[in-house]
Amino acid sequence: MNHASWMSRSFLATALMAAAGHAATGYSADPATSRLDFAGVQAGAEFKGTFHKFTAAIDFAPDALATSKFDVSIDLNSTDTKDNDRDKTMRGPDVFDVGHFPTAHYVARSFTKTTGGYIATGSLTLHGVTKDVPVSFQFVSSGAGAKLDGTATLKRLDFGVGQGDWKSTEWIADTVKVSFSLALKAAP
Amino acid sequence: MPNKSSPVRYTALAQAFHWVIAALIVTQFALAWTADDLPLGLHKLALLARHKSFGMTVLMLAILRLLWRFANPPPQLPPGMTPLERNLARATHVAFYVLLFAMPLTGWMMSSAKNYSVSWFGLFTWPNLIGQSDAAFALLKSTHDYLSYALLAIVILHVIAALKHHFWNKDDVLVRMLPFTKSEKRP
Repeated sequence: MNHASWMSRSFLATALMAAAGHAATGYSADPATSRLDFAGVQAGAEFKGTFHKFTAAIDFAPDALATSKFDVSIDLNSTDTKDNDRDKTMRGPDVFDVGHFPTAHYVARSFTKTTGGYIATGSLTLHGVTKDVPVSFQFVSSGAGAKLDGTATLKRLDFGVGQGDWKSTEWIADTVKVSFSLALKAAP
Repeated sequence: MPNKSSPVRYTALAQAFHWVIAALIVTQFALAWTADDLPLGLHKLALLARHKSFGMTVLMLAILRLLWRFANPPPQLPPGMTPLERNLARATHVAFYVLLFAMPLTGWMMSSAKNYSVSWFGLFTWPNLIGQSDAAFALLKSTHDYLSYALLAIVILHVIAALKHHFWNKDDVLVRMLPFTKSEKRP
């Protein structure tokens, strides 16, 4: 309770500071040079995949964390693990169920500075389930653009990703690692 | 007293290699044939994961077995075999060793080509031997399949030959590979 009220006051203070003159810069990820990857563990061995289609609207400035915002939409139909059988299974009804849930959506509005970078706390909506997922990242601005690299770890079963047999974690691990490297261009 | 250059029996370790690998090969056929009939799914994935772990075990055992064989030459073929029989026996054993390496290696490459890295019972992951390629996967899969038929054929030949030596020729070819038995001294 105390902690929460301290948090909200600190956010309020940061928001007031931001309102006083600092605004986050609006960027969008360049699809050609940005990557959004994931890695799961299947039968004890890691497999890597990528999402070819996603959009990332990034409003960020190191001195305006309170007004910063990430809004990322991922087209789950673009899932690619370099194997058609696995890709079909992942898009299918027992895993992502793209027929019902074609996109995953991540929105973050809360940012904190860490020693090596930042942590965003946002909500991920995947497979019809919304949960908080922290993302740690580094932000390096360069000219009019910026580079945003980061990682997150989530548990697929929190989102019901894996139904029927695929609920078992004996052969498919619950933990999935997500990593991204976004080339940000100033939004028009 | 048998001297080291012409042992009468296979060493205990050579027998262990033989029977453990034989049991693994039977298991491999059972797993592969069961998995072949299954639709894509978790059950198939699980069986093939076991198949890969056992296959890599065979590969490691085959390396050790071959090294052991170089250091401890096997007993000689019994006298009285015709040159044709001797050549057939030698060719079968060479084919066994070739397949003990070729089966796991083509399987490992198949998994690599399909971008499914091979784990050893979940304890560690073997590196991919080749990059992802649908064409390479198809070629390796058919190679792995044809080699398995060849292996099955020489297993059958090997078993028939061993039984023929034991019951027809009444020599010690079978017994000298059997643990817990004794071989008669050669005349």
